[in-house]
Amino acid sequence: MTKPPSENLPTVKLVVVGDGGVGKSAITIQFFQKLFVTDYDPTIEDSYMQHVEVDGQWCMLDVLDTAGQEEFSAMREQYMRKGDGFLLVYSVTDTNSYANITHFHTQILRVKDRDTYPMLLVANKVDLVHLRKITEEQGRELAHKLGIPYIETSAKDPPLNIDATFHEVVRIIRNQPQNDNEKRKKKKLHKLGKCTLL
Amino acid sequence: MLLPTNSSPIGFQQEFYHSVSEKTKLFASKCVNKSPSKDTLRRNRFRFCVCTGPRKSSKKTAKWYVKQPTWRLWGEEKADGALYTVYLKKVRYHRPTRSLSSSHSDSDDEISHLEWETVRVRFVKAGTLKKLVEALSTDDGELETTYINVFLATYRSFSTPKEVLRLLLQRYVELAERPKNGKPDPHEQHRKTLVSALHVWLDSYPEDFKDPPNHPALRQLLHFCEEYLPSTELDAKVRHRIERYTKEAHIDPLIAPPPAFAMRSVAAGWRVYKLPDVPVRHFAEQLTRMDVDLFKKLVPHQCLGAVWSRRDKSRSHEAATVLATVNQFNAVSYRVISSVLVEPGAKSGDRAAIVATWIDIAQELRLIKNFSSLKAIISGLQSNPIYRLHKTWQAIAKDKIEMFDELARIFSEDNNQMTQRELLMREGTAKFADTFGENDKHLQKVFQKQNNHTANISFGTIPYLGTFLTDLTMIDTAIPDTIAEGLINFDKRRKEFEVLAQIKLLQGAANAYHFSLDPAFDRWFDAIYLLDDREAYQLSCRLEPPTLVAQSAPHPKQAAHPKAKNRHQKNDSIASTSSSTSGGSQFYCEVDSAPGSPRNGGLDRKSSPSQMSNSSSSSSLPSLDVSMTSSHSGGANGKLQVPFNHSGTLSTGSQKSSPDFYIIKVTYETDGVETDGIVLYKSIMLSNNERTPQVVRNAMYKLGLEGSPEGYTLAQVLPDKEMVLPANSNVYYAVNTQFNLNFILRPKKSDEKDTPGKNSKSKYKL
Repeated sequence: MTKPPSENLPTVKLVVVGDGGVGKSAITIQFFQKLFVTDYDPTIEDSYMQHVEVDGQWCMLDVLDTAGQEEFSAMREQYMRKGDGFLLVYSVTDTNSYANITHFHTQILRVKDRDTYPMLLVANKVDLVHLRKITEEQGRELAHKLGIPYIETSAKDPPLNIDATFHEVVRIIRNQPQNDNEKRKKKKLHKLGKCTLL
Repeated sequence: MLLPTNSSPIGFQQEFYHSVSEKTKLFASKCVNKSPSKDTLRRNRFRFCVCTGPRKSSKKTAKWYVKQPTWRLWGEEKADGALYTVYLKKVRYHRPTRSLSSSHSDSDDEISHLEWETVRVRFVKAGTLKKLVEALSTDDGELETTYINVFLATYRSFSTPKEVLRLLLQRYVELAERPKNGKPDPHEQHRKTLVSALHVWLDSYPEDFKDPPNHPALRQLLHFCEEYLPSTELDAKVRHRIERYTKEAHIDPLIAPPPAFAMRSVAAGWRVYKLPDVPVRHFAEQLTRMDVDLFKKLVPHQCLGAVWSRRDKSRSHEAATVLATVNQFNAVSYRVISSVLVEPGAKSGDRAAIVATWIDIAQELRLIKNFSSLKAIISGLQSNPIYRLHKTWQAIAKDKIEMFDELARIFSEDNNQMTQRELLMREGTAKFADTFGENDKHLQKVFQKQNNHTANISFGTIPYLGTFLTDLTMIDTAIPDTIAEGLINFDKRRKEFEVLAQIKLLQGAANAYHFSLDPAFDRWFDAIYLLDDREAYQLSCRLEPPTLVAQSAPHPKQAAHPKAKNRHQKNDSIASTSSSTSGGSQFYCEVDSAPGSPRNGGLDRKSSPSQMSNSSSSSSLPSLDVSMTSSHSGGANGKLQVPFNHSGTLSTGSQKSSPDFYIIKVTYETDGVETDGIVLYKSIMLSNNERTPQVVRNAMYKLGLEGSPEGYTLAQVLPDKEMVLPANSNVYYAVNTQFNLNFILRPKKSDEKDTPGKNSKSKYKL
């Protein structure tokens, strides 16, 4: 791995969503904990920030995982608004968590007021083979229906696809149609200028 | 090495520089050197301090002993069933002959030859449950305050009260029965300490022993006392506790009347609130009153990752007090959303006025330091259905929007919620709010004004609980429960305790709030109709169609409204004034004890049994009773499922003159109950395809009535008469929209079947 360049890197904000108990926090921790294995402190300001190199390009990954706050349902949209890309996580051992993915998907599109947005469907806990209730086919079927890619993960040791998951979302964000994005931003800025004058 | 006086202030200062991880240990170290003499314990309280050291560096490079040469990590030590971290500590040497009464030690330095000595201190890092229980009494047979506090706050994640009690008593018996060989009992001190531990446990976590009807744990303790500790303070305390619980069991039903009755009985001060013209300060205080109630009842250890985030949904009572707080938060947010959306006839200007009022309430909540309801309101206003109403936002004054931005910045997710964390540390136990960011012009002004006027008022702090819950979930995920072949990882519990201690501390501070209940506010709060996510979004889209629909709809000219305002852009200016000075802010929590405090009341052995029980009753942690809150929080969960006629199909053509639904108000009237002239209305939504039975069912649900809709009649209250709705009419078209949409639901009289034309359906049925 080459060293991250010292100049300011583009920041990519990822938001991890999914029901309680699907192992969101385990995915996040597995990804970040490599850096500070010895003494974990969840309150440090850069706990969930990391430089990553994806396809030769560096960026600053800023992950928002509100594990433990799933039931504060009223604030979900507030943090969805901040995301450049989303991990939609369910547990292959929990049918409800699978069923709820569609709801999260709809909510994100509404908040973003778009018909597509960078997202990745994450089927977690695939190490629990005997408890598995949602097959890979069902997972892929849902991903196809939502029009987003699919990945299987396990945060248990040895971890499966954890880094790949985060890198993939960065890729999806980079590959989204830039024109559309730019246009919208320009429009926003234009209108914004007007607003402020008023 | 007994230090009869507490550490000097300078000593404290130095210790603030320690990294987070060493904090607990360091604190523990202070305790380990203190025997629980009355003098030192009296001053014991939770202490809330701000550390000013460079915090970030602690994570990566700086080791604590670089800055604090009096402490040195010696290594780990493995004993049978336990793993210890061993430190060498340099302490100032005191001559053993020094009189304890010489309070000022200025002259000591000159007298003493030996300045320092090194003491070896070991902390349990991991162990079997048996070893952890044994460690309640240290190697020297002393009570280590930090250890017992961490243990009692967290042991439920690896054991049960029953098991711990069994091991504790077993340990005592073991020590009592060892041969003494004619020498003075070497285990006496250890046994005394175990008894102290029992006192602390009984006083700090009374709910562990409350298990009606028989309270087996207390019974077990009683038997133990009868055999080993008859007529002691512990014996008396246990007896008193059993007696009290037995009494309570008889009183309980009387002091908790059914909520409906309670509400009706408060006839005085009848007022009706209607947004936007409400007293905002009063509203903030009332919301805070609700939050304080729940926050003080919160049982901190229910927030632990092992309890809250790993809980089985079917056993949610294990985290009932946490859930009650979450429900209240959602209840406030949903009320914000509903109040803005559900006036079908309202104009953007009217909605703007309501939003502005919520911003005013939020501002008052900031002054009162209620971050829970403050965030709930911000979340409500930033929820998609409200946030996307550009016309409404445009109609709000610029100042107001800027204030909203400043308040919203408090909860910015940037840098792991750093703004909020620092704010909580600065103001957690401060008397009043005074922290603002570099760009917070409006807040600054408001604080100045406040501080000129209300210099003597002080408030507690209600935190937003979610951040703690996430931190505890992350700790639970990141740190293993067991290490070294199955030993319970007690260092993990120390880490968790750092978070729990903050919560406990703020709970203590919350006692500074004194707001009395306003029944009119509660009525207003309960009467707001709540929309679920889908309803709210659909209503919002009816007010302003989404751009995507507009693009594909037959009216391509429908312009997208300016989407963003300043506030939606990333703003990095997190309370910069504070971060510059307190980048290393940390909670520092000193868990001490005083005779009257819940922590260690039992240590003060000179207290009489009656004093003991006083202190324990006043300090009892709240019970799991959340019934009071159910009337508020129930609304958020039990939303009505009102069928929408246009589900999903949102056309721009829906902006016609008459709305597709009405919000109607329904009250319940029976012959038997004297209502004292109070009419309690509940709002329900009435859409244009709903027939009488469905509307009655909705109303029954909202009013908490059971049974079949056929047992009730619904009538609209008109100025001079009532209009009873036919049994199966389309209510939407039947109502008289010339007047207020107020309705009465009443049970059918038994003779009603004889009244021709009044209710045709029941005629056939009965």
